[in-house]
Amino acid sequence: METSTSSMNSRQRVLAALKREPVDRTPVCNPTSVATVELMDLVQAPFPMANRDPELMARLAATGYTELGFDSIMPVFTIIQESSALGCKIQWEQKDNWPTVRMNEPIWREPEDIKIPSDYLTHPDTKCVLDAIRFLKKEFGDEVAVVGKTMGPWSLGYHCFGVEPFLLMSLDDPDKTKLCLEKMKEATVQFGVAQLEAGADAITLPDHATGDLVSGEYYERYLRDMHIEFVDSIPIPIILHICGRTVDRMDYIAQTGMAAFHYDSKNTPAESMEIIQDRISLVGNINNPETLYSKGPEVVRQEVYKNLDAGVHLIAPECAIPLQTALDNLKEIPKAVRDWHRDHVSTN
Amino acid sequence: MAQTLDLGTRIELVSMDAHFQEISIALYRQQHDTTTHYLVHSYSSLDGATERIEFIKETMITLGGIQQTADGLLHFACGAQHELACKRLFLEACKHNPAATATPPPMTVFDKKGECNLTVTGLGDSSYRAAADSDEAERRVAVLIGGLTRLAQLEEKGDAIAFACGHQHDALIGLLLGRALNVRAAIREAELNDSRGMLAAPSQQN
Repeated sequence: METSTSSMNSRQRVLAALKREPVDRTPVCNPTSVATVELMDLVQAPFPMANRDPELMARLAATGYTELGFDSIMPVFTIIQESSALGCKIQWEQKDNWPTVRMNEPIWREPEDIKIPSDYLTHPDTKCVLDAIRFLKKEFGDEVAVVGKTMGPWSLGYHCFGVEPFLLMSLDDPDKTKLCLEKMKEATVQFGVAQLEAGADAITLPDHATGDLVSGEYYERYLRDMHIEFVDSIPIPIILHICGRTVDRMDYIAQTGMAAFHYDSKNTPAESMEIIQDRISLVGNINNPETLYSKGPEVVRQEVYKNLDAGVHLIAPECAIPLQTALDNLKEIPKAVRDWHRDHVSTN
Repeated sequence: MAQTLDLGTRIELVSMDAHFQEISIALYRQQHDTTTHYLVHSYSSLDGATERIEFIKETMITLGGIQQTADGLLHFACGAQHELACKRLFLEACKHNPAATATPPPMTVFDKKGECNLTVTGLGDSSYRAAADSDEAERRVAVLIGGLTRLAQLEEKGDAIAFACGHQHDALIGLLLGRALNVRAAIREAELNDSRGMLAAPSQQN
């Protein structure tokens, strides 16, 4: 996949960038899905089956590396695998849409309701992820970084309690909310550690304390310390993912000790780099709906350059890309990274 | 070895074909010298996918009067882009029932709202004029002209409309007649398609 002038392979490059160590070029690493409907056709691994069958999941995920030229493979396309194993009702949808949790049918109301089932890691929808990671490690070995995903307790709270009840609880009863988060974090840790044991090189941890609904102060109050704990309890480079405008909590996020923060295009690369001050790596920021989905490769390239100019450590889309995204736009990301480095080597 | 191809600029996508195995089919634009070409393509290797693509191209030729090169690329005889019209033509060809034979669309459409027939007539100089068979349907004629203008990027030329390329495209006009009476529905359909496949954070989901 790489030219003869490369001195690192994809996995080495990603892992080094997650530690903010020197790299031969900035890695292109997707902490979230880069699956598209056309890639599903190419490898005959369509949704929803590719979310439930480990072979199909691995085959579709591998296209991120083999077809798009990214330095990572991320097989956990959805955000609902754990919630399914916890007992939530899932709408699996079709090839061209994302599965969702039926959050209007919450499974828990009180802290006492929270129970991690004994078959949590052997449930078909969590086991599928673990098996897919094993397949990928067997096929690709140490050539490319395999990134897993385990949902954080705040996201699980939305799924299992419903968004509104969970947010209202956080307003009305902070102690009860903290107790719920404490109990739910066990699901995050168990699934994260299981993926580490299956061979994952890094783990994305989405915890949707998103900029639109949750303030920076909320993040500090409810999640910062728990995220610090995850660094020890899931001993693998962790990439925290939170959507939306998050500059008001980036300083707290940088205190967690996590390897990287997967950040949204609502934050500029320059202001984000200014806040994190080399305490955590940044990855992401390439806009999904307006750029990758709606515009052409030239605009994608501009956004990649903006991140590289700011010194962002790993380049990626801001979140799971739209399933209808054109392949040319995705392939432009690694091309732009290579060109930027070539230009900067030749001008230095 | 990567299997994805450099096919040009993707301008339209049917993410799940209703008539063949839910494969994804895309329309790509390529520029060769002064002529715009279009490629219909699917990455599916399922048995029958190639035939399905051929059927869609044939249907586009019949429904929209587009032509095919020896390499299987599509283009309008005038060489111009007519991109909006071509996207619509592609979508209509994908929707067309494979069991029914495609025929060139007539230049007349029955308008339920105005309870009249609306007819578009070519004036022989690349322009078209619309008329109704009812004296009270002037407003519906205006709606039809407005719709055609938006869907096919036609230009107003006095009391007529015309393609900027200066050529006649009767089949395209016929194809777009039905949609032109309800452009909002066509736009709504496109918006709905655009919103599918976007992952929303849990806080944004219903």
